[in-house]
Amino acid sequence: MSVLTERRITSLALLLIAAALLSQTFGQSYSGLGAFSPMFFPQIVLGFWLFVATLDLGAELRQRHSMTRPRIVRVILIALACVTFLLLMTRIGFFLAAVPFSVFALLVLGLRTPVPIVLVGVGVPAALVALFNHLLKLPLPSSPWAWWF
Amino acid sequence: MIELLPQAAALIFTFEGIGVLLFGTILGIILGALPGIGSTVAVAMVLPFTLTMSQAPAILLLLAIYAGSVYGGSVSAILINTPGTPQSAATCLDGYPMAKRGEAGLALGWSTVASTIGGLTSAVVLLLAAPQLAALALNFGPIETFALILLGLTCIVSVSEGSLLKGLVAGSIGLFLGCVGCDPITGEARFTFGQFQLISGFNLLAVVIGVFALSEVLLRAAAKDDADHGLVSFSGIVLPPLSAWRGRVKGLVKSVAIGNGIGILPGTGAATAAFIAYAEAQRSSPNRKNFGKGEPDGLIASESANNAVTGGALVPTLALGIPGDAITAVMLATLTLHGVTPGIRLMADNPVLIAAIFSGFFVINLLLLPMGMLVAKGAAPLLRLREGYMLVLIVLLCAVGVYFVRGNPFDLMVMGVAGVLGFILRRQGMPMPPLVIGMVLGPTLEISLRQGLIITDGSFMAFFTGHPIALVLVICAGVMVCLPLIRAVRARLGLVHLHKG
Repeated sequence: MSVLTERRITSLALLLIAAALLSQTFGQSYSGLGAFSPMFFPQIVLGFWLFVATLDLGAELRQRHSMTRPRIVRVILIALACVTFLLLMTRIGFFLAAVPFSVFALLVLGLRTPVPIVLVGVGVPAALVALFNHLLKLPLPSSPWAWWF
Repeated sequence: MIELLPQAAALIFTFEGIGVLLFGTILGIILGALPGIGSTVAVAMVLPFTLTMSQAPAILLLLAIYAGSVYGGSVSAILINTPGTPQSAATCLDGYPMAKRGEAGLALGWSTVASTIGGLTSAVVLLLAAPQLAALALNFGPIETFALILLGLTCIVSVSEGSLLKGLVAGSIGLFLGCVGCDPITGEARFTFGQFQLISGFNLLAVVIGVFALSEVLLRAAAKDDADHGLVSFSGIVLPPLSAWRGRVKGLVKSVAIGNGIGILPGTGAATAAFIAYAEAQRSSPNRKNFGKGEPDGLIASESANNAVTGGALVPTLALGIPGDAITAVMLATLTLHGVTPGIRLMADNPVLIAAIFSGFFVINLLLLPMGMLVAKGAAPLLRLREGYMLVLIVLLCAVGVYFVRGNPFDLMVMGVAGVLGFILRRQGMPMPPLVIGMVLGPTLEISLRQGLIITDGSFMAFFTGHPIALVLVICAGVMVCLPLIRAVRARLGLVHLHKG
């Protein structure tokens, strides 16, 4: 079994993040103010994080976990689609961002029947736009080209 | 509290109030029945839509979603052997065998009546216990508050499924996330790394939805096997006749008591209560030989206990600001977002609102029976939906929900990043409730600690010498942390003895 398992890498990353953040709290102009210092509480929290992350890494190094390999390509594609959708939603409007996202995500998730894909991919975003923009008057981001979607 | 009931009724029995109770209970049952959504995600998904509502209807809607979803989990547990919520896992053991032998309607009838009775008793416990606890808490200053929040943080130990260390790491991450933004005393910006959007800190809702709902979507996408549900025939709920209750009432009372007792203990949760009640029923029921083969006593035990937890878990959440489990941690965030600060001053500052919450909770549990009967039949076809459709729907609703909070694109990005991080952390067995508990309780812990230190001239020991309540609370916190450690050591010693034997 490889020394660099997914769990060990994540534990190490958390330890390094805690150490890096803790190092940021020292050498500030307000150090030494005790309870008045803005870094007083974060130092306690980050110190504790560093301590438990070290113990956790130690425990991970002692243990042998056999993790199931995820469908990594599928996860990456869905995660990228989600982030792209969230980025585009406020730029090109909810509907125009949601339709390609929904159709793409359904295809990546293994659905192949065209009629339900189109119905869900177009119908659900359209229904949400109709509900919030036109019925509840709580506007979702609309497209720069048409006010009604 | 009784004298406030007329004013509370005026808040509840409005067109909006009745509407949210009916709609929330129905939606809660449907969301709870859909496998993979669960009570926490259901409450988190609906939360943003309540931000434009006034306080009482918004909180009642979320309570209805909470209670409805706990009951709704039993629908899929019985019909497709897949618990909609973890709380309903024990319901599968006897519910599905009953459904397989053609008694799906009767199994749902038992679970509906048991859930209603469990929920109603928990509403009474909430009404009686929460004000007493809150009255005691009114004597609290910053030092006692610090000790209380410390005790609240120890529930991280019990919600850290499997690994205490990972729970503590998650809790520390949550506490740190709560530190990002302006310092509450000096106003100095902390950990913003030049991003002006971070001055007000991370949006709690975006983080909660990201780590619970979005990470769930990614985990489901990562799973090797797509859900495949076997179907049983079902034509509607059949209520059990009164004569069938003979010999089962004692078991019901015991399970309800277990559910309420466990609910009040911070960090234990409905799933634990359901399994403990099930185990106790299996031990003491005259029909114990039929357990696991479709025995109504098993169904009554798990369903009455898991619904009895709902009110019990709200007692420490409302009275002390300590969440009982993951769902009440989200509820705690909900109250905060609606400008209600749970804890010591809650009952004194908002007596009518609290009376409305208690009475509304009672009404919600009364509605479980008729709404359950109405919705279960309609929800059955939804359970046949392919998982992919549900996952896409969750992402769209989460995005809409987070956008409505402030209309801020940065919050959407926070949700996306929290979802990916939540996925990575959950893959390595890190529980997410401690992260949310840390983020919710962190700011109060910081202010009370720093105020306390200023009062005592920087002496931490003085926290305990002149403050007996704080001392007792800190001892309780120590016991809460040490007990699981002692149990783990004893279990390990037991294993060593077994190996030697």
